[in-house]
Amino acid sequence: MRAEPALRGEAVRVSPGDRGKRLRSWLTNPVAVLGLVTTAVLVVLVVMPLIGLIGTTLGTDGLDAWQKVLSGRLAPNLFWEPLANSLVIGSATAIGSVLIGSFMAWLVVMTDAPFRKTIAVLATLPFALPSFALALAWETVFRNDLIGGRVGLLQDLGLAVPDWLAWGTVPISATLIAHYYSLTFTLVAAGLATVNGSLTEAGEMAGATRARVARSIALPIVLPSIISGAMLAFAEGVSNFAAPALLGLPVRFQTLSTRLYGAIATGETERGFVLALLLIAIAAMVLFASTRVVGGRRSYATITGKGGRRSAISLDRWRWPLTLLAGLIALATTILPGLVLLMSSFARRTNSLTGGFTLHFWIGESDPGFAQGQRGILLNPTVIEAIWTTIGLGLAVAVCATTLGLAIGYVITRLKRPKFLSNALGILSFLPFLFPGVALGAAFIALFGRPIGPLPALYGTFAILVIAGAAYTLPFASQSGRAAVGQIATDLEEAATMTGAGLGRRMVRVVIPLAARGLLAGAVLVFVKMIRDLSLVVLLVTPATPLLSVMTYRYASEGFAQFATAITVLIAVISISATLLARRLESAAQPWSEAT
Amino acid sequence: MNVAEPGIVIEDLRKSFEGFNAVRGVDISVPQGAFLVLVGPSGCGKTTMLRMLAGLEQPTGGQIRFGDRTVATATGGSIAPGRRDAGLVFQSYALWPHMTVQANIEWPLKVAKQPSGRRKARVREVLELLGIAQLASRYPGEISGGQQQRVAIGRMIAPAPSVLLFDEPLSNLDAKLRVETRSELVRIHRATGATSVYVTHDQVEAMTMATHVALMRDGVVEQFGSPDDLLSDPASSFVATFIGTPPANVIPAVVSGGVARSGGKAIASLPPSVPTGPIDLMYRAESLRLAPGPAEGVLAAEFAESTPLAGRFLVSASVGGKRLSVIADDHPRVLAGDRIWIGFPGQPDGLFDSATGAKVLLEWAAGSPL
Repeated sequence: MRAEPALRGEAVRVSPGDRGKRLRSWLTNPVAVLGLVTTAVLVVLVVMPLIGLIGTTLGTDGLDAWQKVLSGRLAPNLFWEPLANSLVIGSATAIGSVLIGSFMAWLVVMTDAPFRKTIAVLATLPFALPSFALALAWETVFRNDLIGGRVGLLQDLGLAVPDWLAWGTVPISATLIAHYYSLTFTLVAAGLATVNGSLTEAGEMAGATRARVARSIALPIVLPSIISGAMLAFAEGVSNFAAPALLGLPVRFQTLSTRLYGAIATGETERGFVLALLLIAIAAMVLFASTRVVGGRRSYATITGKGGRRSAISLDRWRWPLTLLAGLIALATTILPGLVLLMSSFARRTNSLTGGFTLHFWIGESDPGFAQGQRGILLNPTVIEAIWTTIGLGLAVAVCATTLGLAIGYVITRLKRPKFLSNALGILSFLPFLFPGVALGAAFIALFGRPIGPLPALYGTFAILVIAGAAYTLPFASQSGRAAVGQIATDLEEAATMTGAGLGRRMVRVVIPLAARGLLAGAVLVFVKMIRDLSLVVLLVTPATPLLSVMTYRYASEGFAQFATAITVLIAVISISATLLARRLESAAQPWSEAT
Repeated sequence: MNVAEPGIVIEDLRKSFEGFNAVRGVDISVPQGAFLVLVGPSGCGKTTMLRMLAGLEQPTGGQIRFGDRTVATATGGSIAPGRRDAGLVFQSYALWPHMTVQANIEWPLKVAKQPSGRRKARVREVLELLGIAQLASRYPGEISGGQQQRVAIGRMIAPAPSVLLFDEPLSNLDAKLRVETRSELVRIHRATGATSVYVTHDQVEAMTMATHVALMRDGVVEQFGSPDDLLSDPASSFVATFIGTPPANVIPAVVSGGVARSGGKAIASLPPSVPTGPIDLMYRAESLRLAPGPAEGVLAAEFAESTPLAGRFLVSASVGGKRLSVIADDHPRVLAGDRIWIGFPGQPDGLFDSATGAKVLLEWAAGSPL
């Protein structure tokens, strides 16, 4: 019988002589060595940038910046107001995402609503779209003449759009909810799917009503995923850069992320680093609170074991109204903004339905009458270069992060001793989650902005983008690595150990094939996250390494709305194709699981 | 079986998991070719023992030898699982779901770097031996539990290991298949000539398959011997009540003046050497009788159930909350909860210390029927 932790009584006493022996046994254990190497890599990726940030803010200029940001004359403007804005947006994003995401998840997983599969697919799409896609679409429709320049569709049609609907908290929160409900949907749907049919049936057999079963059995099982969904949405909302940059900055509505970006972009590096640390501290507090609440309730479904059949909740006369509502939400956050962007990229006159349409912004040759003589994006060599750089970056980061994630997941789930290694890996791989993209970008500038020993300065190279991307996506990659390895019964690997297969061979022939589905899904998530990311790369990109998301942002801020929307459509197409391709690959990668 | 040739020797084997002592000093030695069954209730340490034999766990004390090779010691120098010349069938079978039956069985041979031709021949041989040749190209997910089990065995015996390890291999099979597979496993064991160690919580499996049985409890071996030893001469009341179909009855009694009383009724007279005080009496089911009514040496019992058994009936009833089994010629023809009477016609089949459960050895008077 394997000892369960609960059975463990008295502690083992270790004599000093045993320590040396133990160390030797660790160093001869390949899994422990793998753990050590992985930890070292994570230290470079995660700890050193943080140290770089902190170190810089402890110099004379840095301490001065702390004082200015927190208590100086400009402090309200620099920190406190952006903080308040960030918190309001974060809370709104969390509440909205949880309400909408949970509703959709419940409808899709638990009920007999029609078109459940379609709704499920649509509800996962917004997360594959860049968050600036929705902000751009919003702007295309609702922009008013508060700051002059072009106006949106509605105003163009002669409808007055109030300022609160065009700029600031409401549009930023709305676009973030439309983006992040997709995340809570995925988490809650996964949580609901683990509510085994036999669990609820047992409750019903005991005579409990459907409502009672939902409250006392289903809810407690799903609650951890709802809470983590809320906390994630909050953290993302607080630190998001693209939406406030597009819908807030033009009217001087600042959040911590835009302040941080502004500070570094204008050379106030120390001030920017101080803001980055404060932003990290806030994210850390939220996520710490969420792990305290959720703590220890995590559970993995296993590959073996019989799943119970679940009987769907019958919605009766609510069937169509609820389906319609969910369908509308799904359409309004995916197809509709997609169409708006697509149409806007064809509009001859910016954001106007009445000015006629043209393909010029896609495939037009240089014409002084259009966009200051710039060619359409598909003929623009810089854009073409950016497409390849972006895809290359996505692939490189996906490969690096997934490999790291596999190593981390393997060590955490398989290494029994020394325990501190797997604990350290767990914490380190989670840490980048606390780094809002802009802050992490700042940290990498702080660390790799100048040569370190024999290494040249990496700023402006493709390498720094890959390294920063791997660090940025590490929490996702390690989570999928952990889940993918964790669901492989240890028996399967021990059976290979019994035949004399070493670590490498077990990895290649047993672990990776069985984890392939999860790893691939994780890799696609990383790829998509990199393709559509703006916040991390906005500070790291130089003309030598053009990226699509940054080009969109530049075009949008410079008033070339059609170019911005066209490139956003391009990004969306790449992201969605990757996601669909991954679905195909997943089923092709594991033919044996079709059989059962 | 050549007794002089050592098969598996386990000396003072211990294993603790951060303070929890799963195995607390086990000594077992069986000859080459033996079929050793480790049996006991869940949590007794039998699976930990097996995992240490396999090399998947390191002992924290003692050592293990396979033949004349020391394969595991607490002080290091243990041989890796794959180099012990041992194979293991997991309780879950642990078939690799992404490999076909053929590939599952062939894999250990690949790891052992056998040439392709020899591998294929061996896989065919194993598939034939197990009667599953027609499944070669199927995936584990496409075959039944009983077939999966054969594949797991095939994978184990393909490299012809000299030690076969089984971790409750029959627990996932239905009752009928389990009985058939028992003899099948013994046949395979004989065919390979290997030494087998088999873990189970089912004493019937132990009694029917083993050449040697180690009954474990709380990390120690309660009794080690042949199935017949455990059945005819249980070393403790725990063994007596664990082994046998049905297991023996152990009835608490108090001795005074050479008479053992249970619930105030005198049920047996014991030799004068038995000390006065509490004692546990062992009666096999076949040593008890149903009595027609209350009498001297008869206890009232509450009838529970009656199972037909080879032309007779196994009657279960409880006396003072303790379940007793009696072999009777006829069904008592009463309903559950009704009163029946149980008689104790002879001497008890054994005596146990009521505090420690250990067997009480004593000199019976000459001519005593025990």
